[in-house]
Amino acid sequence: MLAPKQMSRLLIAASRDQMAPVVAELYRHHLFHIEEFVEAGAEGYEGFKIGTPLSGASEASVDLVKIRAIENAASIHGDDIDSAKTCTRNELRSRIERELPVLEKEVEDLTVRRSQLDTRVKESEQRIAEITPFLALPADMDLYRGYTGFTVFAGYVAHEVALSVPCEIAYVPGKDKNFIVIVAPSGERNEVERALQAAAFQSVQIPEESGAPQARIDQYTADISSMRTEIEGIVQKLDAVRTKHSGFLVACEEFLRAEVEQTEAPLRFATTKQTFVAEGWIPSESVDSVTDALVKATGGKIYVTVLPIDLEHDNIPVEYNNPSFAKPTQVLIDVFSRPRYSEIDPTLMVSIVFPIFFGLILGDVGYGLILLAMAFGLRKFLKGEEGRQLLDVLRNASISSIFFGLLYSEFLGFAIPGLKPVMFSRHLMAEVAEGEAVASHGPMIPELMVMSIWIGILHITLGRILGMINHARQDHGEHRTKAVMANFGWLAVMWGILIAIWSIAAIPLMPNLTGLPSVVSLVNIGGVIGAVFVIVGVLFIARDSMLEVVELPSIISHVLSYARIVAVGLSSVAIAMVVNFIAIGMIIEPQLKNFTIFSIFIILAGLVIFLLGHALNVALGILGGGLHSIRLHYVEFFTKFYKGGGVKYIPFGMKRRFTED
Amino acid sequence: MAAELVAAVDVGMTVEQIKASQMGMKALGAGIAVGLTGIGTGVAEMGIGSAAVGAVAENKDMFGLALLFTVIPETIVIFGLVVGLLLLFL
Repeated sequence: MLAPKQMSRLLIAASRDQMAPVVAELYRHHLFHIEEFVEAGAEGYEGFKIGTPLSGASEASVDLVKIRAIENAASIHGDDIDSAKTCTRNELRSRIERELPVLEKEVEDLTVRRSQLDTRVKESEQRIAEITPFLALPADMDLYRGYTGFTVFAGYVAHEVALSVPCEIAYVPGKDKNFIVIVAPSGERNEVERALQAAAFQSVQIPEESGAPQARIDQYTADISSMRTEIEGIVQKLDAVRTKHSGFLVACEEFLRAEVEQTEAPLRFATTKQTFVAEGWIPSESVDSVTDALVKATGGKIYVTVLPIDLEHDNIPVEYNNPSFAKPTQVLIDVFSRPRYSEIDPTLMVSIVFPIFFGLILGDVGYGLILLAMAFGLRKFLKGEEGRQLLDVLRNASISSIFFGLLYSEFLGFAIPGLKPVMFSRHLMAEVAEGEAVASHGPMIPELMVMSIWIGILHITLGRILGMINHARQDHGEHRTKAVMANFGWLAVMWGILIAIWSIAAIPLMPNLTGLPSVVSLVNIGGVIGAVFVIVGVLFIARDSMLEVVELPSIISHVLSYARIVAVGLSSVAIAMVVNFIAIGMIIEPQLKNFTIFSIFIILAGLVIFLLGHALNVALGILGGGLHSIRLHYVEFFTKFYKGGGVKYIPFGMKRRFTED
Repeated sequence: MAAELVAAVDVGMTVEQIKASQMGMKALGAGIAVGLTGIGTGVAEMGIGSAAVGAVAENKDMFGLALLFTVIPETIVIFGLVVGLLLLFL
């Protein structure tokens, strides 16, 4: 919690003939993050060379490429398929030998034929386009070419052309452009060209065809439709391949990928003629079990040891270490950047605060239920890990949305009957019209604003405190003290400004310091204390970095930025209420009062508006609630303490979904 | 009240009319605040957004940072919205 998993640096050395069992064992455990060996003559590695793949690497690679090609042609994606461990290793191996060549041939024939047909369809369409202009002329296509003494001009002109030379002209006026065909003696060519140029002539190629244009076009259209039918047949066959073999194919791919990864692992090891050395990272808790397993697999012919860690220079891979409810949020942190090994992992805090922000923004029972249904419904379509995690984040957010919807007493923009808002009401056009007390039911904007500002102050204070901890952990010497003090300085300036404001003006829901004994006219003791805080804070900041002082106004803008929690929320409430008012107040209710047969249609139209409006608002709600909440974390919260840029922990091995070890 | 009465007499309007027109002015002010800040945010995000899309197309890992940069100007329109709400409801 709040820190990544503890890692140990493991060094494995053994003779080369132990390479295969060691690699297999490491792969099975799926824990060892290989530190790749680079031939750069690092200390202690003089004379070592990058290893060579184990036997069978190239065969497995070739098969893997084949399988991926088939999967591509039949559009099979492992992520879309439910995991099911159907085959054992040996079964798969024999099936690959037996079935893969047949299947490959079948799919290849189909795809080749399909692409041939596609090209021919395009060619035929091109031909049709070429012939179409000549449709209006009665001549057969072979009459346009094959002359020695005459030249045929065909193309589009801006206006009709009159020629002084002896010639045949066929002119077809069109909507945008006019088609013209001229047959003239070749000797008069220049004359004709000049006249045509004056009429903005665009030449058209004369197609190599024979027979009447209409007959040719009919022929090509018939060809195209027959080829389309054939293509459809091919697509159906590929579909059949997909339904029949997708389980086998994904299992094969996984099996072969595992083979290839294992056989190519030595490329990442340091080797000599007789031995090899693999360095890498492993969660500290698993060091013993992996070491024991390696010793057992090699019959003791191996040397495994834990190396000391250099926190500053080692690229220690980072694996999250969070309680299960916070795990989905990791995807949001990864979008920003993975934490470094030595810094605080904010996932837990984000996993708690993000849904709260989301709920505060989109606090509506109706929308919350819709989103909850979406979070569960989309599971059928999103089967990849990241998609699942995002859906889990959405689930948590929508639960929070329902909770805050109850507190706000909102259901699709309506007040929930009989439930008074526990929190400050957001009903913009609410009950005021019915003549009830305004104070208890109208929107309580100032209170909501101050609440959001309070959230901002506390969130930023937390961020700065975490910043102090991070600097204390990561930095050394003089810089460490200065950096910690600078973070304290930012806090002091923020609270100083707050105290000064409280001493001048009374704000609802905030301490009122205006009553303190006054020092000079408008300034009282609170003001003086605030000013001292600000000055001390600025000094601390300037001591660390003079340039940072320029950033001082960001204190105010960052705190005020939290007002979006209320502002964005109110805008979604406003849209919901407007939709309700238009659909029900303006369309449905008047029709119900004077009901005629015709009213049914208008009421249906009102219902459509109601549904469309709320669908739009749900979409906006996800965007507004999600993006703004996460932005408050990324921009306002993380910039105070979080750097990120850690190396992702990618253990050697895989999570098997379709095959067994 | 006295001042309002004087003003009302001066321009020949009733107190109710003046109050109503003051409400209208507030609504106009709120509208201008939200509208102009919206345009400002849009203009600012235009450049950042196109550069961010370019960066993400080159390197997908940039997505988080690109999103961060793109939404920074959003604060402007939020300020507009806050001012608008305060004008209307405070």
